[in-house]
Amino acid sequence: MLQAKNISKSFGVKRVFQNLNITVKQGEVTVLMGQNGSGKSTCLRSLALLEKIDSGQIMLDGTSVNASDVNMYPKITVVFQQLFLWPHLTNRENITLAVQGTPYQKQLDELIEFLDLKEFIDQYPNQSSLGQKQRVAIARALILNPQYLLLDEITSALDDRQTEVIVEILKDLKKRKIGILLVTHHKVVAKQLADKLVYI
Amino acid sequence: MSIFEVLLVYKSGLSSGLLVTLQMCLFIWSIGLLLGVLIGFGSVHCKRLGRGVEYLSFLNSGVPVIVLLFWVHYPLQEMLQFTIQPFYTAIFTLAFVNVLGVAEVVKNSILDIPKQYLEVARVSGISAYKRFLRIDLPLIFRHSVAPILMLQVNMLHMTLFASLIGVEDLFRVVQRINAIIYKPVEAYTALVFFYIAISIPLCLAARLLKARYACDFSEK
Repeated sequence: MLQAKNISKSFGVKRVFQNLNITVKQGEVTVLMGQNGSGKSTCLRSLALLEKIDSGQIMLDGTSVNASDVNMYPKITVVFQQLFLWPHLTNRENITLAVQGTPYQKQLDELIEFLDLKEFIDQYPNQSSLGQKQRVAIARALILNPQYLLLDEITSALDDRQTEVIVEILKDLKKRKIGILLVTHHKVVAKQLADKLVYI
Repeated sequence: MSIFEVLLVYKSGLSSGLLVTLQMCLFIWSIGLLLGVLIGFGSVHCKRLGRGVEYLSFLNSGVPVIVLLFWVHYPLQEMLQFTIQPFYTAIFTLAFVNVLGVAEVVKNSILDIPKQYLEVARVSGISAYKRFLRIDLPLIFRHSVAPILMLQVNMLHMTLFASLIGVEDLFRVVQRINAIIYKPVEAYTALVFFYIAISIPLCLAARLLKARYACDFSEK
């Protein structure tokens, strides 16, 4: 279980959130919603230990973790809103870079089929559409076998059809016992996926 | 006397001048690239070094190279009570300018990498060493290779100033030829052939590498 216990975060005098509690369980989707600028992404970044919190605790499977604890990656991994696929690597290399040196081929083949990547796997990110890049970014996270997947507004720039594809993928990930924290302001997506809904 | 006659009649003089220019360039380029890249990387991690490079670059941008060359050739050597050959003075001064230029380009390329690329590497559990080799270095290379090559072309052009402190480079040879034939247009146009011959491969390489590796930061 990934837990944020009473976490608070400020940027200078601006308080982003205070005493926030979030729990992400394996096999469940926790949806984090809120208005623009309400601190959803900062909250996700805090849970991923990419942002230092002012107070509170981040717990992973009952143990308190902090930013210097590098072993928590890739147990927890993140797909960012803007994806940030490395532009000098092909989609295939983007997906496999972190696992090179391990026997990843079988898992890669599964991911190619699961996320329907075959058509553009050997293209560069700038040759792929946004929906395709979205799937590559998800594959890059999934090849790491994460227990918890933190997704920051990954459907925000997608049309309805592409959003539907992503929703189906996330439903499937839920079945694979991955704990998902989804930041979105897409109410329909939240309704379809949420086991738990948190407003900030 | 036409341009081609200048090239033909004075070919041995021009060749020796070209050799001196090329020797200067090789020193200036290699020192600039080696130290510039090292200092560029160092100045990102060591704030004091970074600030030092920044101040020196700022001062350097305000002082014309020719003045710097004269300072190093006359007052500095007199002050320090030693004399070095104009050829080495020119190399020292121009290499200094090149080191600063390359260091600035490398430093800016490093600082321009969107930090999210590195965050993705971190949350993917990629080690710092692997990240440096597979993500940082290629991105820095793509970002800096074209400006660094163009800087080297500029350094080639700056070697012209070396003639003013008595280096027998290509430009000085052409000045001598002009003093004999009184045909400045023909003499200096002949000079252009040599500079084009040296700089065209560099310019082409810069264009080619820029096209091949041009950074796509569209996801920034």
